[in-house]
Amino acid sequence: MLEIRGHARGGQGMVTAFEILAKIFSQLGDYHVQSFPAFGVERTGAPIQAFLRVAKGEILNRSNVYNPHLIVVFDESLLEQVPVFDGLREGGSVLLNTERPLENFKKELESVFTVPATKISLEKGLGSKSLPIVNAAMIGAIMKLIDADIDIAKIVVGKNVPVKPEANAEASEIAFNSIVGLDKSDLKLHYFLNTTEIEKVDIDENILKAVGEPEIEKYKEPYWFQPMSLNKTGNWRVLTPEYETKIAPCSSNCPAGTDVREFIKLSGEGKFEEAVEVIYKHNPFPAVCGRVCPHFCEEACNRNDLDEGVNIGAVERFLGDRFKNTTPKKSSIQYEEKIAVIGGGPAGLTAALQLRRRGYDVTVFEAAPLAGGMMRTGIPKFRLPDEALDDEIKRIEEEGVKIITNKRVKVKDLENEFSAAIVSVGSHIGSKMNIANEDLLLDGIKFLYDFKLNGNNHGIEKGDTVAIIGGGNTAIDVARTALRLGAVPTIYYRRTSNEMPAIAHEVDEAIAEGVKIEFLTTPVALTGSDNEFTLSMIKMKLGEPDESGRRKPVPVEDSEYTINVNKVIAAIGQRFDEFVFDGNKIPVEQGKIDADTNIPVFCAGDMAWGGTVTEAIGSGNKVSDEVHAFFRSLPYSHEENHPTVVMPVDINFTYYMPTPRINNVVKHDIDFYGNFEEVVDGLKEEEIVKETSRCMHCGECFSCGNCYNYCPDAAIHLDDDGRLRIDYDYCKGCGICVQECPCSAMTFNLKEVVYD
Amino acid sequence: MTEKIKEMKTEEKVSFNTYPRHEQRIMKGNFAASEAAKLCRIGFIPAYPITPQTTIVEDLSDKVGRGELDAEYVNMDSEHSVFAAAMGAALTGERVFTATAGQGLFYAHEVLHAIAHYRLPMVVCNVGRPSIPWNIWSDQTDSLAQRDTGWVQFYGESSQEVLDTVIQAYIIAETLDLPVFVVLDAFYQSHTSENVWVPDQSLVDEFLPPKKSKPYEIDVTNPKAVGGLVQPEHYGKFNYEYWVDLLKVEDLANEVGEKFGKHFGRDYRAVEAVNIGPQTKMVLVTISSITTTARGVIRNHPDVGLLKLRLFHPFPKNSVLEAVKDLSNDVPFVTIERNFVGDKVGAIKQEMERAFYRERSNPIYDAFTGHGGKDVPPVTIEKIIYRIKNNPKDVTWIDVE
Repeated sequence: MLEIRGHARGGQGMVTAFEILAKIFSQLGDYHVQSFPAFGVERTGAPIQAFLRVAKGEILNRSNVYNPHLIVVFDESLLEQVPVFDGLREGGSVLLNTERPLENFKKELESVFTVPATKISLEKGLGSKSLPIVNAAMIGAIMKLIDADIDIAKIVVGKNVPVKPEANAEASEIAFNSIVGLDKSDLKLHYFLNTTEIEKVDIDENILKAVGEPEIEKYKEPYWFQPMSLNKTGNWRVLTPEYETKIAPCSSNCPAGTDVREFIKLSGEGKFEEAVEVIYKHNPFPAVCGRVCPHFCEEACNRNDLDEGVNIGAVERFLGDRFKNTTPKKSSIQYEEKIAVIGGGPAGLTAALQLRRRGYDVTVFEAAPLAGGMMRTGIPKFRLPDEALDDEIKRIEEEGVKIITNKRVKVKDLENEFSAAIVSVGSHIGSKMNIANEDLLLDGIKFLYDFKLNGNNHGIEKGDTVAIIGGGNTAIDVARTALRLGAVPTIYYRRTSNEMPAIAHEVDEAIAEGVKIEFLTTPVALTGSDNEFTLSMIKMKLGEPDESGRRKPVPVEDSEYTINVNKVIAAIGQRFDEFVFDGNKIPVEQGKIDADTNIPVFCAGDMAWGGTVTEAIGSGNKVSDEVHAFFRSLPYSHEENHPTVVMPVDINFTYYMPTPRINNVVKHDIDFYGNFEEVVDGLKEEEIVKETSRCMHCGECFSCGNCYNYCPDAAIHLDDDGRLRIDYDYCKGCGICVQECPCSAMTFNLKEVVYD
Repeated sequence: MTEKIKEMKTEEKVSFNTYPRHEQRIMKGNFAASEAAKLCRIGFIPAYPITPQTTIVEDLSDKVGRGELDAEYVNMDSEHSVFAAAMGAALTGERVFTATAGQGLFYAHEVLHAIAHYRLPMVVCNVGRPSIPWNIWSDQTDSLAQRDTGWVQFYGESSQEVLDTVIQAYIIAETLDLPVFVVLDAFYQSHTSENVWVPDQSLVDEFLPPKKSKPYEIDVTNPKAVGGLVQPEHYGKFNYEYWVDLLKVEDLANEVGEKFGKHFGRDYRAVEAVNIGPQTKMVLVTISSITTTARGVIRNHPDVGLLKLRLFHPFPKNSVLEAVKDLSNDVPFVTIERNFVGDKVGAIKQEMERAFYRERSNPIYDAFTGHGGKDVPPVTIEKIIYRIKNNPKDVTWIDVE
């Protein structure tokens, strides 16, 4: 009887290979065969064994093979891990899958052969480098060792492999001819295979005497009553679950870069000071943004798929208001470079602050009498009260940023005194409409500036009809300001409400206040003066999409009409003031630009990209990183990371109760004439805490305990720090925890995990 | 070694039977079981997976799916339901087959009584594993614990024997209206590939006729209620009739095994005696796959005999006594127990003592070994022989250190 023992790793298919070997032997002659694995529950990659007995007579043994005539090693990395040569019978042989020289093994083993089965298999496209399928090659090599007919083996291999029969059969034949260390077939193995002699076994009497009765004391207490500490079923695991904090859509969608999920969580725990610090890290204007940002975070909130997104803006506003009068820490100047920022809007002030925090001496030059940029001059008080803005700018100054107002400067003016200039002058010049008598139009941006800073109402009186041309936020703000001056404002927009660039809820509020909007119409000519204007209008329809993706409005033939109004204000777009570059046409973009100056010039804010306060803040953050990298010779890339974000499909909505969103109260039912008070109220502290409890914690464990409850192996526990943790000694890798995690804060992968 | 090779004369010693109208295949025990069920033209298979049985019902599902077997295959929600469905199908006259193991068998316990005492013939394979502490490996505790449910129990030594016994079991079941378990060992049989001679369908058809219709069968087009309350005045009669038929099992098993031998070329009896004669100074008593290893070991012990129990329940007392009738009463018997039925001694010793009561006075020594799938290599059997020869104890636990 010939006894063979194989060593491989789980997943390589050695057990199947031994079954195929048994089939081959049954074809080679009248052999009794018996093949079986060491029965266990091995994971992929774990060392495994398989056994094969072949005999001319009956096989009268149904136990594992302890003293093989031939040991076959499918994976040479096992040589360092497992005592693979244990029990090799005297005169027995070893077959190794290796490309290493035979001499490496000759010292240890009397009879050893090698075959480059991995190389052969990979050349035949069997398996992959990480998991080569060497079965067919090893079978071929064994055939050679016992001097068997390879043709029969090739047929049986081809019939029994699940895929690639030809490649497998060829691999067998190549291996058959590639054995190293063999002149002719191994006569000893041939003898063992064919002998029917009964082996006389002499067993040491000491072994027979020791029958192996247990020590009674040892088993006095049945250990299976205790936690199954002896039974470390973790070694069954193939896939490994792991807690993993992923990126939430609110955070990834914030142009300023705010860790939204974190400040919402801290607010929910009543840790408001820590929460506002999370915001301040990226955004010095929470009181402003809480009011005027379109809340990209809320748009992306996964909760929109359950009921409504969390009212994140209200939380931000609450935190900003509560802490806007606190005094921040001021860092010391560390570097000699002096940075000038031209334009004190959200981008310039943010960039200035971030560079000041890093240790640069920064001065902001602001053309207007007060800093704040468009927040100051373009957003009416009923949306953004002065106090909110004043206090947050004051904090920036307290952190050490110098702000010089009423100072309209060019880059050229600063070249001697500063090492670099950041240009963030915004877009404060209204675009032209190119219609007849354009000069008669009042510019919306200028109107908002004049009224807010100088109280100049440009002659609008109670009862005046005012036509506002445009569909953006400026048009809406102009209309609502005109309404409060007693006028009857109507917005004329050439597309439909779907294409309006204005923030949707601002449009809703304007309509609720009494602003009329007419869509699909545009002026073609203007006549009149002072307080009497006639606008020639034409109706529009939507045509093919333009480069912005919006459908382009085209005039409807013969649809001209006229309207008579007291005032006409245009708000169709803005551009930046080229004065800063001495009137030169300089192409602008985010970051360092080529401006033909003696100091490096960087660009940020509305003039570079965006169009909202929050985008300008994000632009300021980015430019500060770039300036710092420039001076410190650090790597910097404009390329955006696109991390994997937790999407609605990753959320188990079943585990969340639909809960109504707590909305801010908006005052619509008041007399707006002469009333410039803020129209939207903030939420109270208890409302803030309640609203943050609606956060689903996308991608971050919030210790709900679902994994703990569902784990069928009780392998999940709370550690000393109160964190949920997996005990990998007992985790079988079923993945129920990953499946049942409400917020996708777990992953499931092939790697092994070790905790700190 | 070279000398030996030169002297080698293998051919004359080779024992390798070939059987006409058979195909030799290399099969695992579980596939031998499913192949046998197919050859018996079973009509209904309720299935629920459990290691190490699962590949039996999986393979049957394949066979039904491929159209090789014309049977109704139903995935059930538990073993309790499996046996309930088996009972229902048997009531309508279907030839029923399924397989289970360990916890699955324990869960079905209630229905096992019902099937036996409603006198419903069927054959079920059990692939033995223990209960608690949890374990999936070879052990006969599960089936031996069902000894008193009224099912006939055969234990197979090899995949060939499992295949052959399933065929014989349908004849016994349908002749006496009794359910039969054919038990095989976890892994050492269920997952071990070996030579199996698979008979042609025609050969099986000649031996096993289609299931005969019985007058009490339920006609599904004309339903009726069964299983009503049996009053005390009648109850004993049911058990009496059951008892009368149970007494016939041993003889029928021998008779069917002999007929099978004539038809297929492989002879079977309720028990098998190996090397039992005047030279015998000790007898090992085994069931299942340990028997094979014991056969190998006693080749080196001319004075040790082997008594293999193939039919275990009802215990083949007459066959056992007949097999050992020539032995003197001082020859010790050693029962090798891969089971623990919560008693002072193992299930085999219990039955042997009952069989010998007032018949023989041989000492019977019990050896517990191989529990929960622990390997029983030849050296373990050698230890048992050594212990009984030198220092016999009523009960010895082997290889438990």
